[in-house]
Amino acid sequence: MDITRKLNVSRRDIIRTSMMIGAGSAFGGMLPRGAHAQEKTLDMWWWGEQELPGLQKFVDGSIAGYKDATVKAMLQDTAVVISQFQTAAAAGNAPDIQYLWNGIYHMESVWLGYLRGLNSLIKPDILKASNPTQLSHFGGDIYRVGWYPLPMFWCYNKDLFEKAGLDPEAPPKTWDELLAACEKLKSAGIEPIGGGIQDGYWSEWYISHGLVQNLDTLGEAVQLFIGDKDFREPKYHEHWVKLEELKNKGYLNQDMSSLELYPGIDLVVAGKLAIGQTVGTRLPADSKATNGRIGYMVMPVFGKGKLAGMPIVDVQGLGISSNAEDPAAAAAFLEYLQSPERLKAFWDATGWLPSNTTFDSSVIQDPSVRGMWEAWGLKPNISNVTNLVPGQFYERAAIPTGQQIVQGAITGEQAGELAATVAKEWKEFNPDMVENYRKWATDLSAPT
Amino acid sequence: MTTQSRLVPYLYIAPLLLLLAFVFGYPLVRIFEFSFKMVRGIDGPWIGLRNYQLVLGQDLFWESVLHNLQLLLAIPAMVVISLIVSVLLYERVAGWRLYRIIVFVPFVLAIPIIAVVMKRMFQFSGPVNEVLRWLSLDFLALDWIGSSDVALWTVMILIVWRESALGIILFLARLLSLDESMIEAAKIEGANWWQRLRYIILPQMRGVIEFFVVVSVITMLAAVFAYVFVMGGGRGGPGTATMVVELYIFNALIRTSLPGIASAASVLLFLVSVLLIFPLFRARRRVRKLEA
Repeated sequence: MDITRKLNVSRRDIIRTSMMIGAGSAFGGMLPRGAHAQEKTLDMWWWGEQELPGLQKFVDGSIAGYKDATVKAMLQDTAVVISQFQTAAAAGNAPDIQYLWNGIYHMESVWLGYLRGLNSLIKPDILKASNPTQLSHFGGDIYRVGWYPLPMFWCYNKDLFEKAGLDPEAPPKTWDELLAACEKLKSAGIEPIGGGIQDGYWSEWYISHGLVQNLDTLGEAVQLFIGDKDFREPKYHEHWVKLEELKNKGYLNQDMSSLELYPGIDLVVAGKLAIGQTVGTRLPADSKATNGRIGYMVMPVFGKGKLAGMPIVDVQGLGISSNAEDPAAAAAFLEYLQSPERLKAFWDATGWLPSNTTFDSSVIQDPSVRGMWEAWGLKPNISNVTNLVPGQFYERAAIPTGQQIVQGAITGEQAGELAATVAKEWKEFNPDMVENYRKWATDLSAPT
Repeated sequence: MTTQSRLVPYLYIAPLLLLLAFVFGYPLVRIFEFSFKMVRGIDGPWIGLRNYQLVLGQDLFWESVLHNLQLLLAIPAMVVISLIVSVLLYERVAGWRLYRIIVFVPFVLAIPIIAVVMKRMFQFSGPVNEVLRWLSLDFLALDWIGSSDVALWTVMILIVWRESALGIILFLARLLSLDESMIEAAKIEGANWWQRLRYIILPQMRGVIEFFVVVSVITMLAAVFAYVFVMGGGRGGPGTATMVVELYIFNALIRTSLPGIASAASVLLFLVSVLLIFPLFRARRRVRKLEA
């Protein structure tokens, strides 16, 4: 999930961190030799407790139970996950193991030479089962091990569907079915669809679900974002035209523009809004809060691309830095985290799924959560296309377009024009990045 | 005086000067340097004025500048409100002690705190609109933070509310230093409230008002980040409706990984702020002179 974008780290933070690491090393050196648990020491910078409470417990337990090396873990602040790593890597002081968001959030570090390819370090079956996703592939190598998944889907309130005379077990599959359902909901006095777009993330998620419907590969998306393909072509902005349609028909909730993402999803859970966008990590709690009355679905299909109707699964991951002195030891720890015993421990500590297709899902009690995992995690899925978006496009086009369409300030076609302009502008601002993106687009267009 | 003894005072202040040079001077030099480079990571190649060309050629930058300039419209309102409230407090209207606390509170609270509260208040289904609807004033129940046409004005309301507290503190401090006998004499001569304000109080407060205006101009141009960050959903939204130069710099540095662009915009903002500091110093001198 990319709710957080990259922030910079201050020199003070670097110095403080260095001092802490230095002090830790110094005290470590003062201990008698017999006091060292293991000869090998690994530094691991990680994130995720912020979005998945319990992860700290899992990390602590994993470190305590690992006998082949001493692992020193540091939970990173949300604001500095990327920049702290990149600054340390540039200075040659990066940790052995680094937490990595998906797509461009770690690919830039790959291009800067801060991460090691894992093909030769991690056993292929473990790497594949962890689903690092296609967005971690570059130049024939893979740069992350998957850690935990973030399925993305549309949710709906089954009680409101029933109230409007809709079948709660058969959510709309096509765009026309969606419009018909929205009309019925509206007629029943229920706000049909929406959420909260004030902080912009709803816009991003809408692109994740909508843009891919007219794409054949994720590489095509990269070509769009860097201006090698044109957003003004109708099929590439059709999703925004569809959003405009929802707006014009009065199906979006009235307070959508002034609400943030999560309060918007809360409306669905509270029975005040019928359909919204959400992520899997919310489902256990939302399902529990409604006695299983939250349903899930793929965004109803309107597009004709090969990716239309595919479930979306984003995955958070871990990688090995180029500064790692003993990459094999780091790889061994990452493999340990994927062992069946650790996968079970992950579930026990977090109440959420680890990213591994061999995870024994029989431990999942909630049928909604199990069903969602089987439909999203274990069947063919695609990654989140907005993780391919360059930061400049994200800020200047991905976020504002949705916000402006929802408030009626621009049309879907104008959104396409804005996106095309910003893609062109990105090239002017980032001439040194164009070739990397083009290479990545080629990788992402290749069959996997 | 020998050369050696002339140097002694400079030696005393040298450590502090070096510290200041390191804390302020070094980053400033680096920012100027970065503004001429295409920085990736922690350095990059020299590209001359290209960053400045890109910044000055981008619509978003000028839109941000325009929003900063629009915020200047808040200053007259802040001055008037601060003046009226400070004079009322000075005249010790009934309950003035309580009022004084109430008007100072916004300035004591951190901006993000009051901005989060205000944001909730101004949501489309929030308390402000609920009250307006209850009063049958539905036409005034706007989408305060969700509409591009209104959002910047909503931010301005918040700024006026909070920054006026500073004006009240400054003005009240000045009022308390005035010669009360002049005001008493005017009262005895039959001058009404407005006449006392217009002919006795205001002329003596000119310096502090100038000072407040200059500080407020600098605030509007270079210190409204916290307001727009919270109220604009962290992105100067909806769309780009509340984007200001500081947020433009923040986005360039943090979110789009363009330190060179961020540095070029920072240099431009720095130069404008420096230009504004001269009138600030002049205003401060005037305040001191009047108070003396």
